[in-house]
Amino acid sequence: MKSISIKKGFKLPLSGLPDISAIQLPEPETIAVSAMDIPYIRPKLLVKQGDLVKTGTSLFCDKKNKSILYLSPGTGRVKQILFGPRRKLIEVVIDLNKNQDKNEAFVKFDTLTLKTIKAVPRTTLIKHLQDGGLWQCFRQLPAKDTADENLTPAMIIVSLNGNDPFSPHPQVVLDNETRYFEFGLKVLQQLVKKIVVTCRKDSLTRLNGCKPFITHVVPDTYPAWDPGTVLYKLKRSEKENNSWCISAEHLVLVAKLLLDGRYPVKRVITVTRSDDKKPHIITRQGAPVKDLIGQMDTTGIITTGRFNGRSVNPDSHLGFFENTLNIIHDNDGDEMFGFILPGLSKPTVSKTFLSCLTSTPKDLDCTIHGEERACINCGYCTKICPIDLAPNFIMKALHADDIEDALGFGLLDCVRCGLCSFTCPSKIELTKLLSDGMDAHFKDKE
Amino acid sequence: MNPLKKFLNSTEKHFTGSGKLNRFEPLFDATKTFFFFPSPKVKHTPFVRDNLDLKRYMSFVIIALLPVLIFGMYNTGLQSGLAKGETYTIFKSLLTGARFVVPIIIVTYAVGFFWETVFASIRGHKISEGLLVTGLLFPLTLPATIPLWQVALGISFGVVIGKEVFGGTGRNILNPALTGRAFLYFSYPVSLSGNIWVAGNPAVDGVSSATALAIVAREGQTITSALSDAGFSLYNLFFGFIPGAIGETSAFCCLLGAVFLMITRIANFRIIIGGISGLILTSLVFYLIPGGNDSWLNAGPLYHLSAGGFLFGISFMATDPVSAPGTNPGRWIFGFLIGFFTIVIRVANPAFVEGIMLSILFMNVFSPLLDHMVIRYTTSKRIPNV
Repeated sequence: MKSISIKKGFKLPLSGLPDISAIQLPEPETIAVSAMDIPYIRPKLLVKQGDLVKTGTSLFCDKKNKSILYLSPGTGRVKQILFGPRRKLIEVVIDLNKNQDKNEAFVKFDTLTLKTIKAVPRTTLIKHLQDGGLWQCFRQLPAKDTADENLTPAMIIVSLNGNDPFSPHPQVVLDNETRYFEFGLKVLQQLVKKIVVTCRKDSLTRLNGCKPFITHVVPDTYPAWDPGTVLYKLKRSEKENNSWCISAEHLVLVAKLLLDGRYPVKRVITVTRSDDKKPHIITRQGAPVKDLIGQMDTTGIITTGRFNGRSVNPDSHLGFFENTLNIIHDNDGDEMFGFILPGLSKPTVSKTFLSCLTSTPKDLDCTIHGEERACINCGYCTKICPIDLAPNFIMKALHADDIEDALGFGLLDCVRCGLCSFTCPSKIELTKLLSDGMDAHFKDKE
Repeated sequence: MNPLKKFLNSTEKHFTGSGKLNRFEPLFDATKTFFFFPSPKVKHTPFVRDNLDLKRYMSFVIIALLPVLIFGMYNTGLQSGLAKGETYTIFKSLLTGARFVVPIIIVTYAVGFFWETVFASIRGHKISEGLLVTGLLFPLTLPATIPLWQVALGISFGVVIGKEVFGGTGRNILNPALTGRAFLYFSYPVSLSGNIWVAGNPAVDGVSSATALAIVAREGQTITSALSDAGFSLYNLFFGFIPGAIGETSAFCCLLGAVFLMITRIANFRIIIGGISGLILTSLVFYLIPGGNDSWLNAGPLYHLSAGGFLFGISFMATDPVSAPGTNPGRWIFGFLIGFFTIVIRVANPAFVEGIMLSILFMNVFSPLLDHMVIRYTTSKRIPNV
């Protein structure tokens, strides 16, 4: 087990760490497959409103590669297909069968065993995964697009921790799943030569069965456990840029699909609130947000990752890639002379508030704290960027439409952790600018 | 509800949209956000943001400048009293000094905000906080005797030519406060480089006193003894009980401000430390070269550090993030060269007795180049990803 040293990043202790215990949520009335959390997807619907679907029926595929399927995580009837502006698919909502017993109807997939996995050709294995609706678990860096099946990547990074600092604890996710996790690693061996398994330092102590498989330990600073950050620290040549990554939770799903022949629907999620210590929740994929958060009593926002998720409303459903919900409260309003108060309770990564002298967990709200101004070149973004980018200079290169310069400065290494926007005193949307620049580059390439 | 907030909310309709005074919207907005800190909801990822904003950032420079400002007022009064042959009490010194200094500051802010509002209205953006700092830095670089119309002219040049023509705060190449001062320095040398920097009423205007940096020793005398003969002992130079520009005399107060800015990370310590080490090293080299005993060549690092406006410039002017380099190695080089050029201009250039203003402006011009070189180097070290 090697440790990766990452000096920069977000080190502030936050309040609202979820409890390590887990509770089972009762079956929700509706579930959905959302298209909002899938990067770069151009969905093509395969069902109509009112259709009967089983667990494992394809709901939509990706027009870019029609063999990438998104399957129904439950048995029931398609209640509604929600579209956004310009007829963009938002989610396919399914009414779960109320009176189903334990033996829920499901689509049967071919199975493999520990013995047969070695003999399965790569293409067949990929076909298995695509039919089983889990090929999209494999993401390809740098853009974290769905992995290109024709490519043999230099390495695959398995991360035990999710996108948010308070994503589900690997111990809860992998509880009693060691057998599947081990099988999952066997599957990866069929696809990629080098496998890197990373885990946060503070998750390590509680981890039991899966501990021997971890190859790299990363520090507890966000976003050290992001596959992009890990790759930046590990890569030695240009060839490794297109490495793959997969989360440990998804790897277990892959193993379950191949071993049990059934689309796995169990998910572990966390709901975090600053003044609360909620347990982990075990539920079905695509559970409704309002069932998970309970009563929403503030005017704040709900996100699927405070730094790099999306904002969701209580009526929507959790996406395929999402496993955390943060309830971030609002702030009371315009504070008189707020810009010069000592700020004992105002969290900051700078040294300009008294709060930087205390080490108590801090509570961040969902407001900007200021107004947008021109970049003053203060270098706070450079100081926090975990992969040593200079977001201010990349931003200027992008403003000048100089994509060559931006790429040269390392734009594609960006892991979209959101820390540059977080820290910017001029409140410039750096993450959005950089992310849009990257997306435009990939659109151009296609 | 707060009555002030009530008032601002009720008058807002006149300044926004099609209100009668909508031309003054930036001014209204600046006033409103000064009293009530704005904090709208986040629209894009990340959904949490740091509490530090530009208003606080700039206010911290003002806080760091307060000791310098208060001592500057005190010293102006003190020197004015000394010129009359009296020794004022602290309170009287402060009051006398304030009579000269406060009008200069008021004129600077009034004229500066006028230009800022004009440009903000035309461009339709908000008034930037950069002027808060520029408007206090600029008066502190001036002697208390300066005519107020020259103050107005100088800050106009600094704000308009130094900043606004480039696109406003954040896009300027040169430090606006120093640009304004340089304009005055070259246009009205009598006001800025003359020997009559002691403020007082016209009756005592005849009292003349050279600034420390203009002192040259007599034949056979060392520069240090010549300085102490003229009242510039190292103690006086360091603590600032000497005639000079309002803010520059006290090296001690400037150091206080510099330490505050470095602890709060508002100023980059690399520029300040780099600058001081550049000054010390260069002055040591000149000190060790034989000859020149009677001039500032031989004054040594301590005198160079304490005399003139070096510490004021390196702590408050050179650390302006906009006109300084944005990369750490660039900042070291930038700071070091400011120290180097300050000494070179001071000792090897007979035309200018003080070098800090010119060396900062000179290095401001070079900071994009420094950034360019550093970024080119760091980029070449990255594993390409295209």
